[in-house]
This record gives sequence, structure tokens and C-alpha cells, in this order.
Amino acid sequence: MSEQKVTFRVFRYKQGDTAPHYDTFTVTVNERTTVLEALQAIRRDQDGTLVIRHSCHHASCGTCGMRVNGKEVLACVTNVLELGTPTVTVEPLQNAPLISDLVVDMGPFYETFSQAHLPFVRRSEYLPDAEVAEGVPFHMRFESCIECGLCVSACPVVASDAEYLGPAALAAVWRVVQEPRGTEVPPLLDWVNSEHGCWRCHVALECSEVCPSNVDPGGNIMALRQELVRRALGLSHG
Amino acid sequence: MKGNGIQGISGAVRWLLQAVSGLLLIALLGVHMIANHYIAAGGLRTYEEVVAYLSHPVVLAWEVIFLIIVTFHAVLGVRSVLYDLGPSPHTQQWIDRLVGLAGIGAVLYGLWLLWAIT
Amino acid sequence: MLQETRALHPVRRRGWKGWFAVRKRHLGYVAFALNRLTGLGLVLYLIIHLVVLSMLARGPETWDAFIELAKSPAFLLLDVILLAGILFHGLNGLRVILVGLGIGVHRHKELFWGLMLLAAILFIFGAWGFLVV
Repeated sequence: MSEQKVTFRVFRYKQGDTAPHYDTFTVTVNERTTVLEALQAIRRDQDGTLVIRHSCHHASCGTCGMRVNGKEVLACVTNVLELGTPTVTVEPLQNAPLISDLVVDMGPFYETFSQAHLPFVRRSEYLPDAEVAEGVPFHMRFESCIECGLCVSACPVVASDAEYLGPAALAAVWRVVQEPRGTEVPPLLDWVNSEHGCWRCHVALECSEVCPSNVDPGGNIMALRQELVRRALGLSHG
Repeated sequence: MKGNGIQGISGAVRWLLQAVSGLLLIALLGVHMIANHYIAAGGLRTYEEVVAYLSHPVVLAWEVIFLIIVTFHAVLGVRSVLYDLGPSPHTQQWIDRLVGLAGIGAVLYGLWLLWAIT
Repeated sequence: MLQETRALHPVRRRGWKGWFAVRKRHLGYVAFALNRLTGLGLVLYLIIHLVVLSMLARGPETWDAFIELAKSPAFLLLDVILLAGILFHGLNGLRVILVGLGIGVHRHKELFWGLMLLAAILFIFGAWGFLVV
């Protein structure tokens, strides 16, 4: 495996700092090194005060969301050399309270998201012909959204409107409307039919571009919009 | 959360109104541009030509409808841009009043102008 | 607890500048930024247009003098910019409506380029009409 040195320009901020700054680190990487691994190497070998958050290392937990070269990604599945830049700029997600360095407070995000009451699991749409074991009604899978917050960081409307429900929560509401699983749908539709609900979306669709889990928040918001228009015109009941 | 005026109608209806007015504008503005800047000799009309053009009742009606729809679309658009800034509910009320008044003012002014020259 | 942490930590939010922060963003974002820019520009133009039309109320001399001025190259250039803004806002707006109604949600980029091709054709004809005829 060939190794090469890459410069990392890392966003730094600690409680009490008047302004954030950037620190530069040089890391030896190979063609398999991910941004998360490089950051862990910096923390281990060069600066133990660098604060990062991660868990699963395989795009399932959604905790290592950050901005790499200006784009929202999961650091654990972002290959350093595939970025193709001699310097890699790493910053925390936008539109969330900054705790330290690359870690933001996801509290407000979860607070809004959980109001959609999206169950964790759904009936699987994959392999419809697959045999189901005895005593199991149907195959289940996790909902696609991993609550990483990349979409909320990338959305131009969240950038200016702190009250906007944002792509993740709106997409979650559409999933509940699609498959209520016992949840009351009308109050959710009222919730997203508000001034800071799905009408604030202006179809930049960057949320769907950055989503690492194929949720397609933008498409879901458009589906929600259609449903609300149908209801406003009296074309939909239920 | 429902208030009076523009806030009183549902978001869905507001979105539809903006969409429908936008679609109408494609036709209204298209004809407005072609009639006033392409068919007119030299791309612009002299005073006499403006008066003669507006003396036709269909033309006058078309321009009045255009004035109303374009103002309506602009008012809803500006309101939406301002709401994107995340104003407080109190500020939202003021935005609605101001853009509403500006819209009504623009239409009344336009009607007066048409009346003054025809 | 949440309230306390919110007060403690600064939120990095770009505000309205975020609408135009198109670097590294995709087509939909750029289209949104341009739609906003052209929309605000057209509102400004509408206001100026209405104010300028007040010259009609002051009689033929005022208006006809203005018309002579408006035929100057500088004004014609502004007209060409206006035409570009109208065509972009109108045709991109059509895409926003269609996508909002569930038409072409996952083909919105192709839809955009198709409509922009139409805009370019109309622009060439329109600008030619302004500048040559």
C-alpha cells in the first residue's frame, strides 16, 4: 500500500474562545484511510485536545457528520485520497450549537426530529419474495434516517430561519404519513403545514444531495407538499 | 397558530396561490412584453401611442389584471423571503401588514395612473 | 438542560448569506440562489417601473423625453439584463411548481436544463428584438 502525506486544516473552537481558528496537521494516509481515521490519528499522535465524535465506523450511527472541503459527509466513509485535494479542510456541521472543535450539540435537532414520532423500524420493502420464518409476520428493517443532521447543516433555509422544522423532521413526518403504524397523522400534518413547516422549503434539494442514507428528504418534503395541497383542495381524505 | 389576513389561510393555499399567480404571469408578462416592447415601433411607445394602446378595453383589462397579479406574486414572494429570516411572531404580523399595504398601494397607484392617462 | 446548553453554545448559522453560499453546492441550490436573486431584482424593477410610469401622468413632453433617453444603449443593456432575469425566474419557477406537485422530483436537474435551454432560445430572440429591431 502506498503512503502519502496529506495536510488537514481543522476547525478549532473551545468554550470561552472569542472566535474559532484553524490548526494544520500533516497525516500519513494510504488509499484506504478515511477522514475519521485521519482525525483519530491526529488526536492520538499530535493533539490530544482535538474533540471528535464517532461510534460505528460504517455509516450506521450518524454521529461523525461534519463538513469536509465544504460538503457535509460522514467522516467514517469519506476516503481521504478520493477527495483529491492536497489540503483537506474539516469543519463541524452548521446550524447547530457548537460544543467543541468538530462536535456540535445535536439536542435541538433531536428535539425537533422526535416530534415526528417516527418509529425506528419499518416493514421491509426489499426482497418481497424472500421466505419469512415461521411465527414472523414479515421482514422488518430500520428506517433509513440515521439522524446525522447533514441535511440540516446543508439547507439554505435552516441557515437563516432557526424556527424552520428542517429537512430531517419533515422527511420523518412524510414517512409517518406514508406508513402511520398507529400514529395519528392529522396533528402531524397540521404541524408541518405551519409558517415554519414544509412551505419554507424552496426546493434547493441540497438535503437529498448530502443525505448518506437515501432518505431523500427533499423528495419527501415535496410529497408532503402534494399531500397538503390535495387536502386543501379537498381531494384527499383520511 | 392561525392568525388573520395572509396568516389566516393555510400554507397549502398560499403556496398554490403563488404557483397559480406565477403561471398566470408567464402568460400575462409574455403578452405585456411582446405588446409593449416588440410590436411597438422602436420597442417603446410615445405618449400618444400609449394612450391609443390603452384605449382598447381588452388591452386595458389585460394590463389591469397583469398589475394585480404581478403585485400579488411580488407581495407573497417578498413575504416569503422575509419569513425565511425567522422573524418573531410579532415581526411576522408587521411584515404581513407592510407587504399587504405596499401591495394595495401599488395596485391603487397603478389604477390611478391608468385612469389619469385614459 | 437543553435550554441551558443552547444558551451556552454559539450556533454557527450563516443567515441570509447562506442563501447565496453556493460554493461546493449542487444545481438545486444554485437555482434557488438565482431564483431568490432574480426575484428580489424583479421586485426592485417593478417598483422602479411603476415610479417611472408616473411620468405618463405629467403629460406627453415628460414621457416622450424619457422615451428618447430610454432608447440609449445603457438602458437597452438594462433591458437585456431584465429579460434574462424574467426568463430565469419564470422558467425556473415553472420547475419549482412542477417539482412541488410531484412532477420530475427526481429528474429536476434535467428539467432545469431543459427549461434553461428554452430560456436561452427565448433570450437570444428577445435580446435580438431589443437591440436590433
